[in-house]
Formats: sequence, structure tokens, C-alpha cells
Amino acid sequence: MSSDPEKMMSKADKMTKLTLTRWSADWRGATELYEQAANGFRASNKYERAKVALEKASQGQVMQSSPWDAAKHMESAAALAQKLSIWNEVADFYRKASELYVESGRAQPASDALGKAARALEEVKPEDAIQLYTDACEILEEDGRDQMAFDLYRACASVYIKLEKFADAATFFLRLGVAADKCDATNSQCKAYLSAIIVYLYGHDLKQAEKCYNDCSQIDAFLKSDQNRTASRLLTAYNEGDIEEIKKVACSSTVSNLDHAIIKLARKLPTGDVTAVQMNAGDDLDEDDLT
Amino acid sequence: MTVIDILTRVDSICKKYDKYDVDKQREANVSGDDAFARLYGAFETQIETALEKAELVTKEKNRASAVAMNAEIRRTKARLSEEVPKLQRLAVKRVKGLTTEELAARNDLVLALPARIEAIPDGTAGGPKATSAWAPSTASRPDIKFDSDGRFDDDYFQESHESSQFRQEYEMRKIKQEQGLDMISEGLDALKNMASDMNEELDRQVPLMDEIDSKVDRATSDLKNTNVRLKDTVNQLRSSRNFCIDIVLLCIVLGIAAYLYK
Repeated sequence: MSSDPEKMMSKADKMTKLTLTRWSADWRGATELYEQAANGFRASNKYERAKVALEKASQGQVMQSSPWDAAKHMESAAALAQKLSIWNEVADFYRKASELYVESGRAQPASDALGKAARALEEVKPEDAIQLYTDACEILEEDGRDQMAFDLYRACASVYIKLEKFADAATFFLRLGVAADKCDATNSQCKAYLSAIIVYLYGHDLKQAEKCYNDCSQIDAFLKSDQNRTASRLLTAYNEGDIEEIKKVACSSTVSNLDHAIIKLARKLPTGDVTAVQMNAGDDLDEDDLT
Repeated sequence: MTVIDILTRVDSICKKYDKYDVDKQREANVSGDDAFARLYGAFETQIETALEKAELVTKEKNRASAVAMNAEIRRTKARLSEEVPKLQRLAVKRVKGLTTEELAARNDLVLALPARIEAIPDGTAGGPKATSAWAPSTASRPDIKFDSDGRFDDDYFQESHESSQFRQEYEMRKIKQEQGLDMISEGLDALKNMASDMNEELDRQVPLMDEIDSKVDRATSDLKNTNVRLKDTVNQLRSSRNFCIDIVLLCIVLGIAAYLYK
């Protein structure tokens, strides 16, 4: 076989084109050539050509009805696209790879592919990243492997926090809680609820936080946990406008066991919200004032 | 039988047959004419029996019999106390053959008698003491003393230098202990968190391990199959007849080639 990847590419292309002399495309040979060409391109750092070669190889595998190999090629193509920073292609390739994985009945690699895509796009296109994370979580949940979804939920919520969409972030934490409940992972569940409450508080939404706390208190596992106590301390401190207490709670060990992003929020808590605290104090005066 | 047993038995036998001991009786009756001595002797014996009975009471387990015996002791004590004045009168009377010292001694003996009678324990020994408990405490318990003598002025409740120093030291030690306990609690919190995370991680990996297990099982069985088939194929290839034929044919070809090229 000629060692020049370009020649291999053109040969493989010829193999797949239907002409008068060729009635059926020889996908097997073509796929092999495509793979070799891709390797050659990668070795010579021609990533663009390698990517194209891999795409075609993947298509060949699809034609040969082996979605697993096809998915693998797509993933490699997507990785190269990531290196080249062609973001929409990254998303597309990973999605295609994930679909192929689902076709071959493997949910875990499918969601892994979407997760990789989301991670790649976190900085650049956060909304797309969120969409990818959500889809990944859905795939896992459908397959019944909720536990793997925890990390994805957490990553998604942290993206939301970066975008300052606190309500959505809190929703995701609650979804994490639901997933954890299904697997009896009480520690993760309670941490998720506490994180949700902290996120609400950071978003200046005391009422939502309290509602959230009340909802979560219905759950036995949360009620018996340390996180419950920390949450109640935090909320009472908020209601009393006690900044010192808020700071103390934020520095407690229970909060320090949560996600990094949440810890940062918690440390900033009272300063992000001083006006609300004063408003609470104002409300008390109005109630006492009977005139 | 031990020596002690022998001794006690001898003692009780002697006591039983004392009344037949002529010499002893004569000795005891030396003071036969002396009414005082006689009465005093009777007193002594009665006090002794009462004391013995009191001892029995302490060993008695049955409450009712203990109460009955106590009552009897009290009756004996009352009787003796009644007769003490008679003895006193006799003590003062002059008897011939008695020295003045002995007279004085007899007086003392009689005076000591009431105390001895009272001292016999009869189950109500605590009575007189309890009634005097309401009296000032110094009266009934002489060994407990109050330094204050009842002076409770301002100075009394003031902290002394030593006590305030002690309090300070106590506070400091308490603070240090609290700090230490805080550190320990933080460490324990971290450990607990790590342990529960590890628990969840392991739970997560259990189904994965099961999958690996089944996949590897499948792979091993496939491999075994393949091995067996391979073995069969190789055996077929190596079957000696085919091999020999191959070698013979090869030799013939080589022979022909050699012949052609010769």
C-alpha cells in the first residue's frame, strides 16, 4: 500500500464512487484506506485532512453496519475538530458519535461523548454545553444508570452558575437530588439540596430558598442529615439579619464539603445580599408599627 | 474440731455448771450479807443479759421478732432504772467490814449505772438525738465547725485572690479544650464526608464490575472455543499421512529438478 495518505484518500474515494465499471461500492476496502490515510495525516500533523479522513472512515463503518467502530471514528474526528477549534463541528461530531453509540446499545459511551462535547464547549458556547449536558443526563437516566449522571448534573449546574442563571442552577441541583434518591445516595442528595438552597440565597431569593427548604424537609434522608441543620441555621440567620452567623455557617465544614463553585458562592453570601437582610429588618418594624 | 471450738464449748459447759462450783459460789457469796453487793450483782447480770439480747437483735433478720426483743430490752431497762434509787440508798448505808474508799467507789458505781442502762441499744437509740437535730448544729455535731460565726457581711461573699485566679485558669483551660474539640470535630466532618463519598463511589462501581464479570466470562468461553477449534485444525493439518505424502512428493519434485538441471 502506498504510504502517501493523499494517494490513499483518492484511491478510497474512487472505490466508493459508483461508476460504470463499479456497480457496488467497496466499503470495506475504502474504510481501511480511509483509516490508514487518517493515521498518516495525524502523523504529519495535517489535522484538517485527518479529520476529513476519519469522517469518511466513520461513514464507511456505518455502511458496513458496525456503529461501534463508526462512533469511535466520529469521536476521534471530533477530538481533532476540538484541536482545530471548529466548535460547531465538534458539537455535530460528538452528537453523531453519541447517536451511533446509542444505536449499538451502549448508553454510557454515548453520554460520555456528549459530556466530552459539553466540556469542550463550556467556555465557548455555554448554552450549547448545557444542552449537551442535559441530553447526556437523559440518556443515562433512560438507561437507568443515574449514578453516572451525578457528575454531569454538577457540571451543568456550575455552567449555569457561571452564566448567573441561579434558578436554573438550583433546578439542576434538585434534579440531582431526585437522581440520588433513586440510587439511595443520601449524602449526595443532601449535599445537592443544600447547594440548591445556597444558590437560591445567593440569587437574592429568600422566599424561594425557604420554599425549597420546606420541600426538602419532607424527605426523610435530608431531615436527618447535617446538611439540614446547616440549612436551617443559614435560613434563621438570614431571617434575623445576622451577618456574623451567616459568615460562620458559610465557613462551616458542612459547606466546605460541597462543590467548589458552591463554596465560592457561600463565602460571598452575605455581601451579595446585604440589602435583602436590611429589608427583612425593615419588615419587622412595619409589623410592629400599628399606626 | 478446731481449738477455738473446743475452747468455746468448754466455756459454755463451765458457765452452765457454774452453780455447782462450790468454791466459786462461796467466793461470790462472800458478800452474801451485803445487800448492796447482792443487788449490784443482780443488776450486773441483768444488764449483761440485756446487752446479749441487744446483740441478738442486731443479728435478727425477722423484723417482728426484732421488734419484740427490742420491746423486752426496753422493759428491762425501765425496770432497772426504777431500781437504781434503791441501790443508791443501799450504797450510802454503812456496812461493817467496808472501808471508806470502797464506799466512795460504790457510790461512783451506782452513779455510773444509769448511763450504762441507757447505753443498752434497744432500737430507739437515734430517738433522743433526732429531736435535738433542730437545735443549733453545733450542739449535736461538735466536729463540724463554721468559721463564720454567723457574720454574713459584704466582705464575706467577696472573691478572694486565689479563687479569682482559679476561676481564670479554669476559663482558659476550658477555652483551650473547646478549641481542641473544634479541631477534632472538623477533622471528623471531613472524614465522614470522604467516607460517604467513597461509599457512593463503590455503590456506583458495583454494576460496572458485574458487567465486566459477565463480559470477561463471555470472552473466556469464546477463547476456549477458538482454542479447541484451532487445535483440531492443526491436528488435521499435522496428520501424519498427509505429511508423509507431502514430503515424498517434495522429494520427487526435487529429484526431477536435479535430474533436469544435471
